[in-house]
Amino acid sequence: MTTLINEDQRDCYQEITNIAMGQAADRLARLLNVYVILPIPKVNMISASELHMALADTTINDNVSAVCQGFIASGIAGEALLIFNDASFSDLAKLMNYKGPLDRHGELELLMDVSSVLIGACIQGIGDQFEISFNQGHPVVLGQHCHVDDLVKSGNHQWSQTLAIEIHYEIENMNINCDLLLLFTEDSVAKINQQIDYLLD
Amino acid sequence: MIIQGFRLLLKTINLKATQIMALPVLICDDSSFARKQMKRALPDNWDIDLTFAGNGLEGIEAIRQGKGEVVFLDLTMPEMDGYGVLEIIRKEDLPAMVIVVSGDIQPDAQERVKKLGAMAFIKKPIDKEKATQILTEFGILSAAE
Repeated sequence: MTTLINEDQRDCYQEITNIAMGQAADRLARLLNVYVILPIPKVNMISASELHMALADTTINDNVSAVCQGFIASGIAGEALLIFNDASFSDLAKLMNYKGPLDRHGELELLMDVSSVLIGACIQGIGDQFEISFNQGHPVVLGQHCHVDDLVKSGNHQWSQTLAIEIHYEIENMNINCDLLLLFTEDSVAKINQQIDYLLD
Repeated sequence: MIIQGFRLLLKTINLKATQIMALPVLICDDSSFARKQMKRALPDNWDIDLTFAGNGLEGIEAIRQGKGEVVFLDLTMPEMDGYGVLEIIRKEDLPAMVIVVSGDIQPDAQERVKKLGAMAFIKKPIDKEKATQILTEFGILSAAE
């Protein structure tokens, strides 16, 4: 069975994400003392094969480093994927006042710091609006200095359809950008749709 | 003398008419869900003439037509964003009191819209309490309403 979302539901997902990503951006902005440029998030039902295309579609063409983190609440489960452009690290190190050498280790530290802010605040922001509290798993590094394609190959997908929410973050006047992808399992979508319909009613 | 008296009478009638007419309020947001949320957050029994706009361009058009003396404005929108709307309102000196209602709650965003002439900033998600508080604070909503 294919779970689909209608236009009203998509609009609602978009608005809820918009609020949550704004809260995450606010946290990052205050931490780094910058302004984060916020676009309109993309919301789509996609298949495992399309995930590959969605990732390839991200504006990041250079080498990337990525972290994923699972989240779960009653009947709703998903995975947050933060894909960070490797070119962002030098500016990020300056903003974070990072004094150590910018090797793989140093980059990893910065990546973990940013991902915990962006993923954590975003997931919490979405949960708050549904009045549910997500438990977050440990962050896992998917790869460093790799190509976006490799991220998907390394994954073992056991689902057919997923709701993908794609957020592109960019810091004003800085060479820092990343993509946050929120993927909800197919079963979760039916459950969230109920919540959405309640909000839309 | 008679003509002058007549003019005065006309003016008074005009003034009365403006007072009787409901306040033109505009909700400008690209999300239909957000527009609905905003509408729900407005105080009950508030005598207004409500108009909706789905992006900044539609918003400006409505304001030019006098449909937005009070505007609830989103920031992130296609076609023209909230910043663009504020700039045009200022440039053309349009009669609109703007309350920005946005998910972009960064300190910079709040500062920028205030500089561009927005009267107030409300964080999304909006609720009735916040909306009523701001409207009362700026004297748009009298205690009686």
